[in-house]
Amino acid sequence: MIGAQDLSGFSMFMCGIMLLVPLLGVWYLKLGIARNLFVSTLRMVVQLILIGFFLEYIFKYNNWLINLSWFLVMITSAVFSVIKNSDLKLNHFVLPVLLSFILANFLVVLYFNYFIVNIDFILDAKYMIAIGGMILGNSLRSNVVGLGDFYKALRKDEQLYFYKLSLGATKYEALLPFAKRSFISALNPTIATMATMGIVSLPGMMTGQILGGSVPLVAIKYQIAIMIAILASTFLSISLSLLFTVRYSFHKNGTLKKEIFRISNN
Amino acid sequence: MFEFRHITKQFSEKFVLQDFSFKIAEGDKVNIVGRSGIGKTTLFRLLLGFEKPDSGAIYYKNEPITDINVWELRKKVAYVSQDLNIGRGNVQTFFDETLSLKANILQKSNSKAGIKKQFACFELSEDILSKNIEELSGGEKQRIEIINALILNRKIFFLDEITSALDKVLKAKTLDYFLQNPDFTVLYISHDSYLPTGVELKTLKLDEL
Repeated sequence: MIGAQDLSGFSMFMCGIMLLVPLLGVWYLKLGIARNLFVSTLRMVVQLILIGFFLEYIFKYNNWLINLSWFLVMITSAVFSVIKNSDLKLNHFVLPVLLSFILANFLVVLYFNYFIVNIDFILDAKYMIAIGGMILGNSLRSNVVGLGDFYKALRKDEQLYFYKLSLGATKYEALLPFAKRSFISALNPTIATMATMGIVSLPGMMTGQILGGSVPLVAIKYQIAIMIAILASTFLSISLSLLFTVRYSFHKNGTLKKEIFRISNN
Repeated sequence: MFEFRHITKQFSEKFVLQDFSFKIAEGDKVNIVGRSGIGKTTLFRLLLGFEKPDSGAIYYKNEPITDINVWELRKKVAYVSQDLNIGRGNVQTFFDETLSLKANILQKSNSKAGIKKQFACFELSEDILSKNIEELSGGEKQRIEIINALILNRKIFFLDEITSALDKVLKAKTLDYFLQNPDFTVLYISHDSYLPTGVELKTLKLDEL
């Protein structure tokens, strides 16, 4: 593979100059986020340098156990991020959500590697970590929305849920309208992105592949496959995390446990 | 049929019920009165198991209501809430969803005719069936919710301010529908002092504690 042209020290310096535009602008306009912007940039640089070195080794050894463990670490941090970005309590949700993310993402990534990319070593670092990272990263927002909104709506429209129960609905029957809405709000952004893909934006994966030396026609095939994989993984992880968390989030009489929320309402 | 035995229920600092006892027999028509905010709706929520008493117990047919058997009770009671947030979407679909619940599937066969009859009875035009719930007026939503309760063919009714958005004639007609039926056991909250003729009402008055 030819690979993208390396960026020299001078290139990175010029990159720093470019940072001055937003940094000085933000400072001049007194937006109060200059410090944040600076710290975030610094964090990004440090984290990426570390991960760069780390990935060098991972790709070099390409050991299935290390690959698998690293993918697990990625999934775990995704789970923490999803729960932290919702109003839900970490200790109550971490296990069921972790389990559903592991199932959903492993299933989709292994399917992808085996049936779509058609490689023999399906735990290959390059594919498992790169493809897995794409899928995780892109389904993260959807999962935050899906899981968070489900419980938020349930707390807000508790009357509606009670009304369904009073009609004789089982817990699952009464939760169905809430689950439907949560699926819709989780999947809609990805569906919308797919509709404008290629025209409004050139997706990151395609850019990467083209710079990496792939011909555009190969890059688009990967892009199509990855978008579908993202949809599948989002759908699976939301279904499973709803299914698993619903078991522990209600009292026997069907009422929602209030202690599952981090921030108490009224 | 129902019995409250020494119920105490407190929300934050305020007692809603304190050592409250009351008996309701089959066929009774019980008017729950008391100033607003005193906890009338809480009685229904206790009966339906959405709230639990801090102490005491509620009995249904001489059995204490528990987290487990309350699910069966919810299949026998038709509750009409004062809350008009009953869902969204098409009205016919709304009825269909109610009848598609496992507990109500037996009521499905004759529902078309039943709904038609109830629409006439509560003076609703049948065009409403194809409208969306969010387009309806308060009074229309209220009647849709009442009909949704009636198509279940249940005999026990918990009615929470179900006539607040109806005009005077419809108010009387609606209350009569429930109160004049000797087979129905009815607990109702109403701010109107409507007295049906020839019906013996029990009054459950919640007082300041």
